[in-house]
Amino acid sequence: MSSVSKQNKKSQQEKSRTTALSVKWARRREVALEVLRNPLTVIGLVIIFLFLMMAAFAPLLVEPNQPDPYQSPRDWSNIDAAPGVAGHILGTDSTGGDVLYGIIWGSRLSLQLSLTVVLFTLIFGTIVGSIAAMRGGKLDNLLMRIVDVFLSIPELIFALAIAAVLGPDFSNIILALAAVFWVKYARIIRGEIIRVKQADYVAAAKVVGDSQWNIYRKDVLPNAATPLIVQATLDMGNVVLIGATLSFIGLAQAGLTEWGALVSNGQSGLLAGEWWVSTFAGLAIVLWALAFNLVGDGLRDVLDPKTEGR
Amino acid sequence: MSGTTGSLAANYGVETDAVVSLNDIKVHYPVKEGVLQRVAGQVRAVDGVDLTIPKGKTLGLVGESGCGKTTLGRVIAGLVSPTSGDIWMDLTVEQQRDVQRLRNQNEKDFSEQDRQLWKQLTTGNRLGSMSREKQREYRRNCQVVFQDAFSSLNPRQLVRDIVGRPLRVHQEASGEDLNRKVIELLERVGLGAEHMLRYPHQFSGGQRQRISIARALALNPAFVILDEPTSALDVSVQAQILNLLVELQADMGLTYLFITHDLGVVQHMSDNIAVMYLGQIVEYGPTDQVFDNPLHPYSKILRDSNPSLEGKRSDRDWELSGTVPNPIEPPHGCRLHPRCPVAAAGCGWSVDDVLNSAEEKTPIIFETITTVERRDDFNAEVKFRDAEAAKSFATQVKSSVANLALDRPPELKGESVKLSFNEVPDASIQQIQDGRWTSCTRTQELGALPGFEKDKG
Repeated sequence: MSSVSKQNKKSQQEKSRTTALSVKWARRREVALEVLRNPLTVIGLVIIFLFLMMAAFAPLLVEPNQPDPYQSPRDWSNIDAAPGVAGHILGTDSTGGDVLYGIIWGSRLSLQLSLTVVLFTLIFGTIVGSIAAMRGGKLDNLLMRIVDVFLSIPELIFALAIAAVLGPDFSNIILALAAVFWVKYARIIRGEIIRVKQADYVAAAKVVGDSQWNIYRKDVLPNAATPLIVQATLDMGNVVLIGATLSFIGLAQAGLTEWGALVSNGQSGLLAGEWWVSTFAGLAIVLWALAFNLVGDGLRDVLDPKTEGR
Repeated sequence: MSGTTGSLAANYGVETDAVVSLNDIKVHYPVKEGVLQRVAGQVRAVDGVDLTIPKGKTLGLVGESGCGKTTLGRVIAGLVSPTSGDIWMDLTVEQQRDVQRLRNQNEKDFSEQDRQLWKQLTTGNRLGSMSREKQREYRRNCQVVFQDAFSSLNPRQLVRDIVGRPLRVHQEASGEDLNRKVIELLERVGLGAEHMLRYPHQFSGGQRQRISIARALALNPAFVILDEPTSALDVSVQAQILNLLVELQADMGLTYLFITHDLGVVQHMSDNIAVMYLGQIVEYGPTDQVFDNPLHPYSKILRDSNPSLEGKRSDRDWELSGTVPNPIEPPHGCRLHPRCPVAAAGCGWSVDDVLNSAEEKTPIIFETITTVERRDDFNAEVKFRDAEAAKSFATQVKSSVANLALDRPPELKGESVKLSFNEVPDASIQQIQDGRWTSCTRTQELGALPGFEKDKG
C-alpha cells in the first residue's frame, strides 16, 4: 500500500518538475510569439535567415574560385560589364570581378565580422560594466574613466587609427571594431545594474544570505540585460557599416570580396555611370543592417518592462 | 530599577530576553561636495539609537517618513552597516545587564573576570565580532518583509524559486523536497500549490505580500522585521495581512519588529512601541500606555493627527510648526524643540533656530542679513544691511520662545544684533516611570507631559 502511494507521489513529483520546466518554456514561447506578431520583425528575421543561409551555402550557389574563394574570379574580357552582360547577372567591377559572386562570398566575411564583433563586445562590455557596478567605489571610478577615454574619441576615427596601426588585414578590422564598440555595452550594463541593485528583491536575496555571484546571476543580470540585447541587435548592422567604411578607405586586404570592399571598388566607376558595383553591395549592407534594426525594435517593444507582464 | 532615571545608555525592555539589542547605533552618510568630493557634512539618518527587541513580542517602530526608521530596520537586517554602535543577538536578561555595565566602563579598567566575560559576549553575541557560523545563524534567524511587494519579488523568477530560495541557499531542501516545502509555506500564508508555478506579475498586491511573507518564513526564523508591510495595500487587504501576521506569530512564536507610520496599525499589532524622530528614539513604552498617556509631545501629536472614524479630535492646538529640520545639522538639546508646541527655555535653543525661524516667517528681514559671525552654535553676532531690520529682528527674537533661553537680552548695536544663548546638552532618553522612557526634557523634569497654554508666544 505504502509503496503504491510512494510510487504515486513520485510520479506526481516527476510531473511537477516537468511542469516547472514547461512553465519557463511557455513563458519563453509567449515572448517569442509576441515578437512574431509584429510583421516588421518577422521581415527582419526572414532577411537575417536568408543572409545566413546564403553565407552557409555559398559553395552551392556559386562555384568557389580557385585557389582563393575570397577573391572574385576575373573575367578580363568583360571589365565593367553592365548587369546582365555575358552571364554576369549583377555586372562586373573594374577588374572583371563578378559582383554577384562578390556579394555571395563576401557575405561570409561580412556576417562573420558583425557576429564576431558584437558577440565579443557584448561579453567583454558586460564583464567590465558588471564588475564596475557590482564592486563600486574606486574600481568603478577607474573603469569608467577608462571607458570615458574610449568614448571621447569618435568611433570611426578610433577604429581607423587602430586598423591603420595594425595594418590592412581582415582580422585587424575585427579587432579595431571590437576595441571601439565594447565601451558602449560597459556603460549601458553598468547603469542598468546600478538601477536594479536598488530593487528590494536584491535586498531580499541578501537577507536570505545568498552569495553575491548568485544575486548577480539570478536577480541582477536577468533584470538588467534587456537594453543590452536591443543594443546588440542594432550594432549588428552598425558594425558592418563601419567595417565597410574601413574597407572602403582601403584598410582591408586588396582584392578581398567583402561588401565594404566592393562598395569601395565600385566608387571610382560611379561617375562614369557604372553604378552597379557600389549599389548592389551597398544594398546588401543596408538590408543586413535594416533587418537587425527591425528585429531590435520588435524586441525592445516586447522586452520593455512597462509592457511586460500584462 | 523602577522609578529611577535611567543610565546614560538606555536599554528598554531589559526585563525580558532579547532577540536583538542595539547599542548607540549611528548611521551617518557623508555629504560630498564639489569636484574633489570633499566631505561637507554628515546626514545623520540614525543618530544614537539604543533599542532592545524583546523575544516573542511585537515592537512597533513609528515615525514620519525620513526619520530613519527604515534605515534602522535595514541595519538590524544587516543590509546597512552602521557607522558606529553594536548589535547584539540573543541576549538573556543577565547578559543584557552585563553588556550595559561593561559598555559604561573603560575596557582598560576591566577586572580579569570582566575581561573574560566581555570576550565571551563579543565573540558569542556581537554582530561583526562573532564567528561566521553564528553570523550565518543570525542571518537565518532574522528575516525581512519589505514594504513594496512589487519590487521585493524578482519579476523573472517563479514563485517556487522565490519562496524556495532561502531553502536552497541554506541547503535545507532541493528538488522534490523543496517543492513540498514550498507548497507547505504557501498554504501557511493562505495560498496554494497551484500558485507555485506562476510569476509575480500574475498576483494581486495582497497575494504578493503573502508570497513575501512565505519567503521570510521559509527558514523558520525567530525574528521578522516587517518594514511597512501593509502601507501599499488597500484597507480591506491590510486587515487580512495583519491578521495573518498575528496568526503566524501565535503559531510560530515569532518576534516582530513592526516598522510603520500608521499608528492605527501599530496599536493593533504591537506590545511595545518606540517613537522615532529625526534619527533618535524619543519615546518608548507599552503600546496602550503610550497611546493613553504619551510622555513626549511628538508622540501625542502623532497620535492625535491620526484621523478617526468618529471624527473627534482632542487637543487641536497641539500641532507641529515649521518643517522637518535638516538632518545634517539637527537642533541642539531636544530635536523637536523648534517645532514643539510646549517648548520652553531649557529645550536647547541656539542661533540656528532663530535664523531658521526668521527665514521661514519673515524672509524680508532674513534677506537683509549680511553676515553672521558665530563664536559657537550658541553665541553669534548677526549683522544686517540697516538698523531698521536689525531692530525688527531683535523684536522678533524677544517675542519668541527662544527669548527665554537667552542668558541676556539681544544686544542691539546699530546694524548688528548680538545673541547669547544658554548652552544646553543634547537630550537623552530616560526612564521616568516604570517601563516608560522619554527624551522630552520637560517631561523628565515634571514627571508628566507639560500642559499646553494656548496664549503662549
